[in-house]
Amino acid sequence: MGSFERIKHKLAFWRTRTDPTSFAVLFARFQSILKRNNEILEIMADMGDKLGGDYVFDRQYIIDVSNRLNDLVYKIIYDLNMLTSQKYVDLYHAYERIQSQIQAELEGRPAYGDERLVVFYEEVTMDDIESVGNKNANLGEINSVLELLTPDGFVITTRAFHEFLGESGIDKILKDIENDIRHGATSLETISKEVTDKILQSEVPTGVAKEIRRAVTKLKSKLGEERIYFAVRSSAIEEDTEHSFAGQYESFLNVPDEEVLDYYKKVIASTYSPTAWEYRQQKGFLEHEISMAVGCQLMVNPRSSGVLYTMDPISPEKDLMVISATWGLGAPVVSGEASADRYHVSRDAPYTVKHLNIVHKAKMLVAEEGGGTREVDVPEDRQHKPCLTSEDIERLAHVAMVLERYYKRPQDIEWAIGENHELIILQTRPLKVQLPYMGEFCLLPDITQGQKVLFEGKGDVVQRGVACGTVFVIETDDDVGKVPIGSIVVARHTSPRLTKAIKQALAILTDIGSPTGHMATVAREFRVPTIVNTGVATQMLKTGDEITVDATQNVVYAGKFKELCLYELIQEDVFEESYEYRLLRRILRKVVPLNIVDPHDERFRPDGCQTYHDIVRFVHEKAVDELIQIGERSSKWLRSGLKRLELDIPLGVSVLDIGGGIKELENKNVVTMDMITSIPMIAFVKGLCHAGLWANEPVSVDLGSFMSSLTRTFSSSMASPEQVGKNLVVLSKEYMNMSLRLGYHFNIIDVYISDSVNDNYAYFRFLGGVTEITRRSRRARFIANILEQYDFRVEIKGDLVIGRIKKLPRDEMERRVVLLGGLVAYTRQLDVLMKHDDHVNHFEEEFKQRIGGLLR
Amino acid sequence: MSEESKTRILILDDEPIVCKRLKPAFEKLGYEVEAFTNSSEAMERVQEQDFDIVITDLKMEGVDGMQFLTAVKERSPETEVIVITGFATMETAKESFQKGVFDFVAKPFKISEIREVVKKAERKKKAGEASGKGKG
Repeated sequence: MGSFERIKHKLAFWRTRTDPTSFAVLFARFQSILKRNNEILEIMADMGDKLGGDYVFDRQYIIDVSNRLNDLVYKIIYDLNMLTSQKYVDLYHAYERIQSQIQAELEGRPAYGDERLVVFYEEVTMDDIESVGNKNANLGEINSVLELLTPDGFVITTRAFHEFLGESGIDKILKDIENDIRHGATSLETISKEVTDKILQSEVPTGVAKEIRRAVTKLKSKLGEERIYFAVRSSAIEEDTEHSFAGQYESFLNVPDEEVLDYYKKVIASTYSPTAWEYRQQKGFLEHEISMAVGCQLMVNPRSSGVLYTMDPISPEKDLMVISATWGLGAPVVSGEASADRYHVSRDAPYTVKHLNIVHKAKMLVAEEGGGTREVDVPEDRQHKPCLTSEDIERLAHVAMVLERYYKRPQDIEWAIGENHELIILQTRPLKVQLPYMGEFCLLPDITQGQKVLFEGKGDVVQRGVACGTVFVIETDDDVGKVPIGSIVVARHTSPRLTKAIKQALAILTDIGSPTGHMATVAREFRVPTIVNTGVATQMLKTGDEITVDATQNVVYAGKFKELCLYELIQEDVFEESYEYRLLRRILRKVVPLNIVDPHDERFRPDGCQTYHDIVRFVHEKAVDELIQIGERSSKWLRSGLKRLELDIPLGVSVLDIGGGIKELENKNVVTMDMITSIPMIAFVKGLCHAGLWANEPVSVDLGSFMSSLTRTFSSSMASPEQVGKNLVVLSKEYMNMSLRLGYHFNIIDVYISDSVNDNYAYFRFLGGVTEITRRSRRARFIANILEQYDFRVEIKGDLVIGRIKKLPRDEMERRVVLLGGLVAYTRQLDVLMKHDDHVNHFEEEFKQRIGGLLR
Repeated sequence: MSEESKTRILILDDEPIVCKRLKPAFEKLGYEVEAFTNSSEAMERVQEQDFDIVITDLKMEGVDGMQFLTAVKERSPETEVIVITGFATMETAKESFQKGVFDFVAKPFKISEIREVVKKAERKKKAGEASGKGKG
């Protein structure tokens, strides 16, 4: 940007007069850090956008974007070290660590730093699929994201599997015979016997065995039990996907803890059974692709259990789900050996039973004392009784639909219900639905013909998907808590508050909002179809309307348009199942999470940085500190340049004009606002000094009756004399960089406004406060809500708020900067007042009312 | 009025994910789609069959995308070619205009973006055919 050069030029005279270190150079470094900081955050947001499903991206994109990040993060560290005389060289180590993890992911080395042999279920998510297998990854995901009950326990990873094959020498055997198999030289039976025998005779590698024992001990002490029992289940990569592998590998129930190692080997051995081998050959899998993780789940001893299909696989057009249930353990139902009760249930709340077939159940499978299972007689009074109550069915059906919506495919779910009616999901996987059905709904234009379109092509798709349901319009804060399950939530603004409603929602529509805001992130996490910025949603829709949202084609239809939902569900293309999606998600985990926030936290150190975001955050914080220190140190030699700004409010600000920010007047040390010519500064001060926003009293009379309960513990004058001079503004005609400490709050506002739209940007950062974290985070939420409503891209973490906006025309930019000034003034002491969640809304209204006139 | 025949699209990209996502997206909309990740297979196919629209990447292993689209245009000048390409090859992409490429779309792109470009290409082609008939 040419402005750097201009700034440098303007600053150059100081060096010649006074200071050996050129302030101009240092300031240019600082500028460069800010610029890179913004670029990095934008790339991060862009990467997040790609997960919504609206974009087609390939591996090359992930590689390119990772390289750009690497480059920028490296340079920003370099800049900081140049600015601070190499104070933070440790940051390079953090950088190298993270960068090499990203590189390993890109190269497809299973690298989570992940040398883990055993992982507890609570740590498992979908991103771990390569190390825990599909089945386990699904379980971990639905437990952590959807908060459904799943069995506790741990997974012995695919890495452990490869160590086992390596150490026992089976690797070599497999390699040697791969050719034989291909040419059919030896029969599968013979090879299979050789390999499985070898597996069963080998010892589990000591490292692996040690980790397994440690996990068992940990679980025992967690449960306070002497002895625990496991279901030991296979979970291969690709098992439980469209390739299914159902029933190819073995699983064992009620295994006592001391026998886990033996049964681990048995499951591993089943990988090489003749049937499994044959199946893989038919499907075209190569031997080196086989990777088996094994789940050790705490044994569940249910009252009843069984299988649920969210759709009738033979006749999906009936729009019913099918539940098969029996007493005791579900294995006989899963394998299809035993007859079971069968319920056909509607797929919509309240999930009425349309059909039921209760059979005579004479036998059931139960866990045997001391290990294994046994078939016993069902107690007389239960033999002819249905094994599910209507509440059981309702809950089961609801959870099933949650799973189907999340995975966007019909699901085949194994479940169990305990004696206390608790519902546990044992497994969920995609259900193959009969293809002939496809014929009826082959093409989108055919099925959408004649449907009434309410609006289309409006706004931005945040998360793709289709949903039909009943509208619920959110008007007040209270409404957020009242959203009925399975509603289509419609709101005026995208707001972090809406996050609460996301789990209840089938889809979300807003009039205004940013596709990169906090709510958007959560909507993607839960994969709820979401369109923001429609402009018209609240005008066109009212609570109770039945509609269908197609957030894939971006159309909203009148009425419940079931065919479209079914059509979406049986699509083969589920983007979230692609390798690229998982890769991007894994890389984002090394990039986006913010672990260090508070500069006073002891982890706020270079070696505390675990992600690129941490590094960038650290660099930014230290760069600002440094600049302020330089400003303070330099005030002696900068006297001719540094002026004091007199404002109508009690706030001491030092001004440094680097070009056209102040009218050329005689060399005064004090300037007043009428001498300021900087475009952003004029706008900012307009908001900052606006009567009614800069409240001198922490408690003003018109704040409502709840304020009377406040104790007056807080000084009313925020700008005490010793703070005067700590606030530094660097100005030019188009530019303003302000570091503002108001009491304990710390604001940074960095703005460039000119007539060339593409250069315009505003960056706002807010941190700090005197009260406890809850109130501070309420204030952060308040700020975030306001900023989002004015189109800022907002990032919020604890009580840190960052808002960014750019490339708006000059007058639009000025309005936003007035808003920022107003926000800074208004929020000075707001945390003291934020005693209750509802106050967020109250203050929002008040703020908007008070600033109202200024923004027009 | 005779039944309108479906618009035929060929997609070539050596990244399987691109084919995997574009093919169903266009099929849904009623297009007839063939997708290739291997450029020599795609090359063979365009020798046998004319397509209405070809969507191709520029930078691929094996056959160069530029060669491919040149071959397509030589054999069937009416075919509209849409180039999809990464940021890095944008310059080359601009060159491709000289070869009579209809438009190019930078990766990553939204499905709706490429859908619009395809619709435009389709309209142009239809208009061309109509005026062609008029003259003949």
